[in-house]
Amino acid sequence: MSPIQTSEYIHELTLRECIQCGKCTGGCPVSLKTSLNIRRLIYESLISDTVSPESHEELWDCTTCKTCTLRCPKGVDPCGLIVTLRGALVESGRIPSTVRDALKSITVRGNPLNMPPQDRTLWTEGLDIKYILEEEAEVLFFPCCMGAYDPRVQKVARSLVKVFQEAGVDFGILGEDEICCAHEARRLGEKELFEGTVEQYQEIFSEVKAEKLVALSPHCFNAFKNEYGELPFQVLHYTQFLADLIKQGKLKPVREIPKKVTYHDPCYLGKQNKIFDEPRFVLQSIPGLELVEMERCREWSLCCEGGGGRMWAEGTNIEVRLSHERVREALETGAEILAVACPFCMAMLEDAVKTLGLEEKLKVLDIAELVAMSLG
Amino acid sequence: MNIVVCVKQVPDTEIRIPVQNGRIVEEEIKQYVVNPYDEFAIEEALRIKERFGEGKVTLITVGPERAREALLTGLAMGADEAIHINDPALEGSDAFATARVLAAAIKKMPYDLILCGKQAVDQDNAQIGIALAELLDLPHVSVVTKLEIAEDKKSAKAEREVEGGKEVIETTLPAVITAQKGLNEPRYPSFKGIRMARQKPYTVWTLADLGLKPEEVAPQTEVVVINPPPERKAGRIIQGDPETAVKELVRLLREEAKVI
Repeated sequence: MSPIQTSEYIHELTLRECIQCGKCTGGCPVSLKTSLNIRRLIYESLISDTVSPESHEELWDCTTCKTCTLRCPKGVDPCGLIVTLRGALVESGRIPSTVRDALKSITVRGNPLNMPPQDRTLWTEGLDIKYILEEEAEVLFFPCCMGAYDPRVQKVARSLVKVFQEAGVDFGILGEDEICCAHEARRLGEKELFEGTVEQYQEIFSEVKAEKLVALSPHCFNAFKNEYGELPFQVLHYTQFLADLIKQGKLKPVREIPKKVTYHDPCYLGKQNKIFDEPRFVLQSIPGLELVEMERCREWSLCCEGGGGRMWAEGTNIEVRLSHERVREALETGAEILAVACPFCMAMLEDAVKTLGLEEKLKVLDIAELVAMSLG
Repeated sequence: MNIVVCVKQVPDTEIRIPVQNGRIVEEEIKQYVVNPYDEFAIEEALRIKERFGEGKVTLITVGPERAREALLTGLAMGADEAIHINDPALEGSDAFATARVLAAAIKKMPYDLILCGKQAVDQDNAQIGIALAELLDLPHVSVVTKLEIAEDKKSAKAEREVEGGKEVIETTLPAVITAQKGLNEPRYPSFKGIRMARQKPYTVWTLADLGLKPEEVAPQTEVVVINPPPERKAGRIIQGDPETAVKELVRLLREEAKVI
């Protein structure tokens, strides 16, 4: 592929504001383990007329946790630079084969997991759930492709459904009309696929008369809340929704869970959307549960390395994994349960627990599962 | 260098093919993709063009209206133009008839190399490349995992997998080469690329345009019945402590499954 002109993006990303202070790279969790140096990438863009993204294999290391952008004192968006450069690679077609297959699967099958669209609702077997395009409901529940297909996350989606039913929530799903929200595709640089998906959803959502959309994944939540433009309903992450139900007295966790639990803030819920208190409030409403914090929590939460499309891009230096580090941090608190609120965090951290042989010591559970366990 | 790539649109490899009363229920198939082996062929054509810095890659397919999607995907990968042979008389066509149609079309255009997938994953006939070579009176190398075109573009060296080893074959060009997995890693056809592909040259031909009469390309085979594979039986868990369970497992593998 031919190199790309830096003039095409430096203004849009306001890179000229950069003072090269290095807070971006200093805060970057993957710079701890790979050659990804976002400050240097900005510098390269500023001093050269062209950049060759092909020579930067480490572009696929970024998890788009956005720490760099959030900490930049000059309001520059370094994370946006990564996505822009990935975009040039996507356009040239020269991308890792795993990324290619995930993107193609979203286009053909409406999910990045190579699963048949016809199987999208198998996770609902035995649960009585409304199909929202035929039967009106107050809440549109969005389980994410992970909740629909991934055997582990299916359990989370099913737990959440039980919690909704227990609290008397009037909810429904899009069933086989549901497709991937393309949040991760956008971060992999496939902007046009994302835009096409937004258009498809505008049509689908125009027929939905719900008051709220409740997303299982912080990634879908972020897409619908911040990137889909005006939607005809309020968009919530399920931890916000459960916190409301508990406050209104509609949901009462009663069964004791006398365990020490630590909570891992997902980047797209915590640092990017500032939802720190609701998940903790839900956990603390469970009788007997003792919440302990890791040293790096809330804004400082260490990324699990599953976001930004990293579920489909191995990245470089796979010997070192942030998820392993995170699991060790969780163990240091003395917790027996590591609570998560994101399907990608679930996949990464549970995998880390297994790889490190710590299954006897630490269990990874989603907040939805803990609430379901605590029902009467 | 003019490279022609034969492409087929096939049902998505991840879906279960709906079969009823011994027939495939086509209306129930919602997703189609480019035959994966044809993607290797397209990619190889593009790489050859890139290496020489000149040339033209032409895609050709025989298929109904929906096959346009497959051609657009190939154009998005970087092919220069597409030829779509779409004629109602070709519905239910077989491999040999399709090869005849393709041969008639390819004769109308300049070519130095013809690339095909080694087989299409829907019918698994693996006949098109071979039949095409015969009909065009060209040399042919099948199931190729490495292809080198000589500097003068007059010959090619191809590697193919054979039982327990590999075979290296040299051929003059033009020739027909069929692509096997491993030949290359196909590039991604971006969303933007597919949109832009609509502006590339796209020609639709009927049998009449090729000077063919329907009876000349009538199928010579008939699919009598299609049976889905038997449903997989549920797994069995052997109870008991490891020592007895392993003995039981070995007994079952030997006596019931007869695999050891």
